[in-house]
Amino acid sequence: MSAGRVAIVGVGYTPFRPITPDVSFREMVYEAAAKAYEDAGIEPQKDLDACVTCQDDFEHGRSIWNEQTPDSLGAVLKPVGTIPGDGIYGLIDAYMQIRSGLRNVVVVETHSKASNMITRNYLLAHAPDPIYNKPLSQHPYYIAGMEMNRFLYETGNTKEQCAMVAVKNRRNALSNPVAAYGQKSAVEDVLGSEMISYPLTELDTSSHADGGIVMVLASEDRARSLAGKPVWIKGVGWCSETPWLESRNWGEAVYAKLAADMAYRIAKINEPREDIDFAEVDDTFSYKELQHLEALGLCQRGMAGRMTSDGVTQRQGELPVNVSGGSLGVGHLVEATGLQKVLEVVLQLRGEAGKRQLDNARVGLAQSWRGIPYASGAVAILSRE
Amino acid sequence: MSAEKVTQLSQTKRMFGELSFGPQDVKLYGQYTYGIAGERFFREIKDNGRIMGTRCQKCQLVYLPPRIYCERCFAELKEWVEVEGKGRVHSYTAVHVDLDGNRLNEPILMAIVEFPGIYGGFVHKLGEIEPRDVRIGLKVEVVLKREEEREGSILDIEYFKPGMFD
Repeated sequence: MSAGRVAIVGVGYTPFRPITPDVSFREMVYEAAAKAYEDAGIEPQKDLDACVTCQDDFEHGRSIWNEQTPDSLGAVLKPVGTIPGDGIYGLIDAYMQIRSGLRNVVVVETHSKASNMITRNYLLAHAPDPIYNKPLSQHPYYIAGMEMNRFLYETGNTKEQCAMVAVKNRRNALSNPVAAYGQKSAVEDVLGSEMISYPLTELDTSSHADGGIVMVLASEDRARSLAGKPVWIKGVGWCSETPWLESRNWGEAVYAKLAADMAYRIAKINEPREDIDFAEVDDTFSYKELQHLEALGLCQRGMAGRMTSDGVTQRQGELPVNVSGGSLGVGHLVEATGLQKVLEVVLQLRGEAGKRQLDNARVGLAQSWRGIPYASGAVAILSRE
Repeated sequence: MSAEKVTQLSQTKRMFGELSFGPQDVKLYGQYTYGIAGERFFREIKDNGRIMGTRCQKCQLVYLPPRIYCERCFAELKEWVEVEGKGRVHSYTAVHVDLDGNRLNEPILMAIVEFPGIYGGFVHKLGEIEPRDVRIGLKVEVVLKREEEREGSILDIEYFKPGMFD
C-alpha cells in the first residue's frame, strides 16, 4: 500500500424523507450501502478494509448505538471505527486511514432516523451544561436566537437576508428529487412565520428528515483500477471552540474559520473565493449559511447578506451555495448532515446532479456544524482532478 | 406545495395497538457533581451573595463561571476574585415556544450577560423589562433570590434586571 491521494469512488443514499415508517434504520443503511458498492464497483466482503460509522446515541434513544451498523454495511468481522459526531468527521477518519497507507478501501456510513425521536427537543435540552445552563429549561433554540441576534448586530447583515437564504435553499430543493422540503416561498413568508426565538422564525429553521448515506473511499492506485469517476479529497479540516456558552464567540463562527484554514492549507488554496467553484455549507438555521460563508473566507465579514441579496449564491450565480437545497430544503439529517453536503459536491463534480447540475464544477467545498449548543465543525474540499 | 410536512410518526393517522417497549415511564437517573470550582462558586452565591471567578495571572483572564484550569495556558487556577454583578447584555432573545413546541403566552427573555474584563459571564433570564426595551449593550445587574430561598444552583440567580450604573 502506498500513501498518497484519496478519492471518493462510490456513493449511495436513500431519498431524504420527513418520516420513514416503512424501513428500519438497518434496512435504510443496507439500501444506501448496496447502492454505494454498486456505484464503486466493489464487493464489500472481498474489497473492504475497514468501515467508519457516525452516529450520536441520544439521537437514536439507545446506548452504544453505533456498534449496530456493521452487518447492514457488509462489514462484519472488519475493523469498525465509531464516531459519535457528524459524517464529515467520519470521512476525515477514513481519509487519514488511507492517506497513512494503512488501508486501501474504507467505507463511511451515517444516517438519520430523526423521526423516531418523539421528544427531540427534550433530548437537545440535555446538551447544554447540566449545572450552569440546563436548569434554565428553555426550548434549546433560544441558543440559536441569541447567536443570530449577535451575528446580525456585529456584521450588519439583516433578518431579510437570512430569510433570502431560506427562500433560496427551499427553492433549490425543488430541483433535487431526494430533498424533502422543496418549496416556492417569499421572504415575507419566512419573516411572517411563527417566531421561535427572536429573531429566529419557524422558516429560518430546518426541519428534520430521515435518510442514509454511504461513501466508499479508496487509495489512488485502487481508485484508478475501478471503473467509476473518482472525486479527490484535496483538503480536510476541523476545529472546536470552547464548549462553554458563556465564553465562546457569538458573532463569528471561529470554528469554521479555523477548520477552513486547515483544509485550505492542505489543499494548497490561497484564494478560496477564486479557487472554490461552489459550496455546500451548514444551514441548520438560515443565518448559519451567512455566518459560515464569512468564516470560510468566501466573502468579507459582513458581506454574506449582500452577496445573497445580489444573487451571487444562487444556482446561476458566481458562487452557488447549497444547490442541493441544503438542510433547509433537503431536511436536517442530524449526524448525516455533513455527508449530505459532501454527497452534493460529489454529484456535481461527477456531472451527475441532473437538473441542478452546475456548468463549471471543478472544486467544491462541504462544511458541517455540530449543532446546538456547540461551536465546532468540519470542512472537506473535493476536486474532480 | 408546502414545506410543512408530517415530521413525527405520531402525527400520522393510524390505528393504535399496544405500542410498548417494556415498562413505560422508565426514567434515567444520574447526577452531575459540581466539582471544586462549582462547589465554591455556588456556596459563595448561596451563603454570601457574591459572584466569584477564578483568575489566570499569566493570561490575564478571569473565568466566569470559574474553572480550576486555564483553557489557554493550561495552568491550574487557585486565585479567586469577586465579580461585581453589574454587566451588559452581549446578546438576547425572546423565546416564544416551550419544549413541547407550544406557544408561550408571554415570551421569555434570555440573554448572555458579560462583565468588564471577564472571560465569560452568564446565560440567564432578563426580568423587570419589556421585550421591546431590550437591546444589545443594555446595562443589567444581577437579582438574587432571598438568602433563605437559595439552594446552591444557577437558579439562585432570579434574573438580570436593567441597571443604573456607570
